[in-house]
Amino acid sequence: MQALKRSLEIVKSSPTLFILLLGFGLFPIYTSITDLPFWNDIAMRIMLLGMAALGLNLILGFGGMVSFGHAAFIGIGAYSVGISQFYGIDNGWLHILFALLFCAVVGLAIGFLALRTKGIYFIMITLAFAQMLYFFFVSLEVFGGDDGMGVDRAEFLIIDLWDPLRLYYLIWMALFAVCLLLLLIINSRFGVILQGIKDNESRIEAMGLSALRFKIIAYVLSAAVCGLAGALFANWQEYVSPDIMHWSRSGELMIVIILGGLSYIAGPLIGAIVFFLLEEFLPELLFFIAPNYSENWMIIFGPMLIAVVLFTKGGLMAIFHQIYLRLTRRQGTT
Amino acid sequence: MTITLLLEQVFNGIQSGVTLFLVAAGLTLILGIMDLVFLAHGAQVMIGAYAATGFTLLTGNFYLGIFLAIPLTFASGYLLEYLIIRHLYKRDHMEQVLATFGLILFFNELIRIGFGPAALFSNLPPSLSGFVYILPETPYPAFRLIVIFVGLALAISIYILVAKTRMGAMVRAGAANPDMTAALGVNIHMLRRFIFSVGASLAGVAGMMLAPLTVVEPGMGEPLLILSLVVIIIGGIGSVRGAFIAAVLVGLVDTIGRVFLPEMLRAFMDQSAADGAGPALASMMIYILMAVILVFKPTGLFPPKG
Repeated sequence: MQALKRSLEIVKSSPTLFILLLGFGLFPIYTSITDLPFWNDIAMRIMLLGMAALGLNLILGFGGMVSFGHAAFIGIGAYSVGISQFYGIDNGWLHILFALLFCAVVGLAIGFLALRTKGIYFIMITLAFAQMLYFFFVSLEVFGGDDGMGVDRAEFLIIDLWDPLRLYYLIWMALFAVCLLLLLIINSRFGVILQGIKDNESRIEAMGLSALRFKIIAYVLSAAVCGLAGALFANWQEYVSPDIMHWSRSGELMIVIILGGLSYIAGPLIGAIVFFLLEEFLPELLFFIAPNYSENWMIIFGPMLIAVVLFTKGGLMAIFHQIYLRLTRRQGTT
Repeated sequence: MTITLLLEQVFNGIQSGVTLFLVAAGLTLILGIMDLVFLAHGAQVMIGAYAATGFTLLTGNFYLGIFLAIPLTFASGYLLEYLIIRHLYKRDHMEQVLATFGLILFFNELIRIGFGPAALFSNLPPSLSGFVYILPETPYPAFRLIVIFVGLALAISIYILVAKTRMGAMVRAGAANPDMTAALGVNIHMLRRFIFSVGASLAGVAGMMLAPLTVVEPGMGEPLLILSLVVIIIGGIGSVRGAFIAAVLVGLVDTIGRVFLPEMLRAFMDQSAADGAGPALASMMIYILMAVILVFKPTGLFPPKG
């Protein structure tokens, strides 16, 4: 009973998140009615990118640690699947276990070294470590090097992923679990301390707590979430290459978070949705204005990012929140 | 493994080191003085390379091309600072990452529209494409030597500018404590714009010198950006002297490591294991170097005193 009450409270604390999750859960019904299975693929990509961004946002939005190297953990997660298959391990649950484990270990090592630094140094060091891992996988000729390696969709014991819809719901369940876990963490004692560190680290230290320990734990957790996203991504793409951990993907994660609003739990998901919609529709929009340049949609997307930084504070979630507040207030007065 | 091969690789290492320094010198001041995470510095390298190649194709003269390209890179830096960057100083690092990431996308796409997605090749004039004997029987490309000389000359001029002039004193003061510098009556806004434009031109020059050595393509400056960030962290953010030493160090370690590490590993392990681990370890060397340095000195080798 207590647990039920608690979970209801959690759902109430972030309605947007659960509306989005519900939306993703029902989305395949819409695509099967309208016969647009292509959009299932996009929804899966959104969920995977959103999952990784949610993981990063635990330290970025709630812990104030600007990691510019989280693509590396997506890569480690993806390669955990590829390399396990290379050695004949086909069980998907084992793959995911390996992905979580490797990401946690590497995250612990990187976090231990990188978290001694602050500010710009931290951003640059996380980037440099990610590059190190990137080049590591580029030069591993056994696993395809630059060209990457093919991956078969794994066997999740009784669930065979031959049907893309099963993969869809596997990803959806993973996203659901990640969201619940993050909500629990953020509302826990640990989460409160983490947010306290973001606001004023020396005060937390003065309370007799080791800020570094909390930061490292949060870093490892967020690395593991990115690893999970990576492992599922490998199953979705059926292919792994170092490209998935290119530094621009770390930038992409950050774009998604800031676009959505980093101090909101649902922010990264909103950001991921908007990011992919822009990627789909900006070329089409450009096609109407200047048909020859529809491939060059980045020329609009780049300045849009700058505009988001210069003219909005707190991302899209903040804007939604403002609109919501205004609407409810108006209802209250009339 | 001969002494001539070693010497050749040392020269190559120094050459890539000074090129790296030209990119890192401006960037370390931008990061240090302005506390700005500026990721589009690689785009300045690209702009420099494209400007020089474009003007060379247009005028048919390599020297004239470079002569015209330098003011253009300065202007692009000045304009960029005036239009966008100055609004970012007060923002937090994450927003700076996002905005300058947006700039990278914009510039890459702009170049793609202007010059097409395919790589350009910049040909050297016959007067520069010969070889020079650095030792008897050791020919070395003349242009690479020129790159080393130009890089060193620019490094010395930057050193004199920063260490010996009034302007340099302002720059150093700005790196150590920008607010106090402004309070002492230095126009910090103009100082920033000046540093930014000079940094952009230096990165542009690096691009011009790289253009004949590599291919000129959209996004060509990005690997250089990442390397120069490593250089800046090793050298200490805001320190030009640190950037120079770290740049040459990184250039040498990277170049020599790639050539000799696989051979050195062969002495310890069997052939196939060494061939597998060698290239992997070589490409990770500079990052390992950086990690080791940071464990002992978390703010780099030569942090500016503040």
